[in-house]
Amino acid sequence: MADKQSILMELENGIKNLQQEATVEATKRALEAGVSPVEAIEQGLAKGIRVVGEKYEKKEMFVVELIYAASIMEEAIKILEPEMKKSKEKRHSIATVVLGTVSGDIHDIGKNLVRIMLEAGGFEVHDIGKDAPTENFVSTAKETSAGIVGASSLMTTTVEVQKEVIDALRTAGVNAPVMVGGAAVSEEWAKEIGATYSSDAGSAVTTAKGLLGKGG
Amino acid sequence: MAKEPMKIGQFGMRRFEVMEPKNAEAIHVNSLKLLETMGIKVISGEGRRLLKDAGAEVDDKTKIAKIPGDLVKESMKKCPQEFTMAARNPKNDILLDGKHCYTCTDGVGLSTIDLETGERRGSTLKDVADSAKIVDYLPMMHMYNPLVTPLEVPKHAHTIHEFLASLENCEKHFTTGSTYQREEAICEIKMAAAVVGGMKELKQRPIISNLTCTTSPMVLGKTTDAAIEFSRAGCPPLLMAMPLIGATAPMTVAGATLLGNAQVIALATVLQLAAPGSPLCYSTEPMAMDVQSGLFEGLFPAANMVRAAHVQMAKYYKIPIFVGGWGTCSKAPDVQSGYEKAFSAFIAYLSGADMTSGPGLLENWTVLSFEQLIIDHEMFTMMADMLKGFPVNDDSMPLDVIMKVGHEGHYMGEKHTLDHFRQMWQPMVTDGQTYKVWKAAGSKNAVEHAKDKAKEILKTHTPEPLATDVKKDLVVLVAEGERSIPH
Repeated sequence: MADKQSILMELENGIKNLQQEATVEATKRALEAGVSPVEAIEQGLAKGIRVVGEKYEKKEMFVVELIYAASIMEEAIKILEPEMKKSKEKRHSIATVVLGTVSGDIHDIGKNLVRIMLEAGGFEVHDIGKDAPTENFVSTAKETSAGIVGASSLMTTTVEVQKEVIDALRTAGVNAPVMVGGAAVSEEWAKEIGATYSSDAGSAVTTAKGLLGKGG
Repeated sequence: MAKEPMKIGQFGMRRFEVMEPKNAEAIHVNSLKLLETMGIKVISGEGRRLLKDAGAEVDDKTKIAKIPGDLVKESMKKCPQEFTMAARNPKNDILLDGKHCYTCTDGVGLSTIDLETGERRGSTLKDVADSAKIVDYLPMMHMYNPLVTPLEVPKHAHTIHEFLASLENCEKHFTTGSTYQREEAICEIKMAAAVVGGMKELKQRPIISNLTCTTSPMVLGKTTDAAIEFSRAGCPPLLMAMPLIGATAPMTVAGATLLGNAQVIALATVLQLAAPGSPLCYSTEPMAMDVQSGLFEGLFPAANMVRAAHVQMAKYYKIPIFVGGWGTCSKAPDVQSGYEKAFSAFIAYLSGADMTSGPGLLENWTVLSFEQLIIDHEMFTMMADMLKGFPVNDDSMPLDVIMKVGHEGHYMGEKHTLDHFRQMWQPMVTDGQTYKVWKAAGSKNAVEHAKDKAKEILKTHTPEPLATDVKKDLVVLVAEGERSIPH
């Protein structure tokens, strides 16, 4: 057990300290030692990314470090995935979020930051990418029984599409709350289209939890 | 506290030259012509004697000295090209080698905008202590010159009281901007020696320098006596020209540059005769006349051009230069003070100034604003980040990373980004938040952030206190000085 505990600690520290090689190594050793992939993620990697996320919010770490930590985590999860599929174990999550940059807009750095923070905060995120067709928001939300739909838009020319996404969701009978964000979006616009505004990645988790009535 | 000081041209950045090289030569040649033919009025008796002994034609009745060009040229060659301005704490020493640049506060205001009330009031010794403490804290402020003159101390001895308050609150190099009399200079030199352990030690580690003004047009005043004392002690005088364009200097940029240059090299000649090979700096703080009202202002573009031209002349003589700049006529820290100060400082630094002074003062260097001091420091950190230039090599042009990221990707998660992002400039008081976050935090502008920062520094920062015996010696020297300095 001590061995397992120390591997989990290594996974957490690897992410926290932005050590790519050490994290990948520890991930492989976790599988060899029979640690379940879900445990490796939830009791190791995710703990690390949560610390990075918290430090980012407190301005103790930088956005570049946050993204780098997330890319290490992604690499580690890829190593764990085959085993996870075999075991049919599922990660625990607060809720499922469908996230994308709306059709016509190719800016996805902000959206990616939101994904990282939501994942670190315990959400399962289905990222449908940038320039995502409106029907993909609808179909993915249906397939995953999404608790929240997030639509990002950076350009003034594409904020209108956020309204389209909401209308399409409601027409298809998806009643999940919608979060909008991005440089071109304002609180007033969000209200007007019946969505909730999230100004940045840092506040996205609080906003999402608020929408689910789970507190900030 | 001081970070790695910035290095101008660290990565091969080219310096801005405001004049063609042949025009700098013309300023030099005409300066010699003025000194040889019309001469310069030298109020200091010792100054005249030194010049006379070295072969100048001196009339003791008119006090005018006509100085041979060769004597001036020889003297300029004796000036060291490179030296260190020491600090109370050696970690704050600054090297003047033409590749680094630094900031100093300027003196001497008579009013202070109170940090608590926001009201303008007479300056106090506490203002000197507080601003010295802030300068001690700010990593990119390198030297301290008392920003204000305290009104409650004996007027004839104000500089030594300021020096004591500065030494107690700031571990950086000290510059005195208002030492006009020989007796003041002697007292300050004794005080500096007491801090470093003796006169010989002071020559090795000059923790004080002296901003000494020449008078336009064409006069070396009584202040020359004080400057001679500093030169002999090995504490660099900063030889300042203050031509007022259109009033005490010709109405043209070149004319004012010429007049100021002639005065500076005349004083340099006197000081090199008094103490051959002693360190000194070129210095300039030109002002311009508002041709509509007749008021004088430090901020006008013409005055900034004279600054840049004088920097070029200092480079011509291969000596360091201290530029009085950051001028503004604004009465409050605002948009006007921001743009005036930025232009004034940046052109001096782009031209290669080793030091500039003026952060923290408003209304033509007469009013202290603590907020402005913090903001000016912030501006300097931005300038410093540009002035150092950038490296061009395999690591800074990462072909492999660009190919790896490919088309439509991004670099935010790359190791190369992680390795380099800490070199990026970071704000202290500049707002970069989203509207929502900014509004939630009280909609504060830079001045309000600066106010918070100044208060925080004064509450939390404690410079290393002076050793008890040193403090005792200094108090005795100040009391002595009060008696010996003429009223």
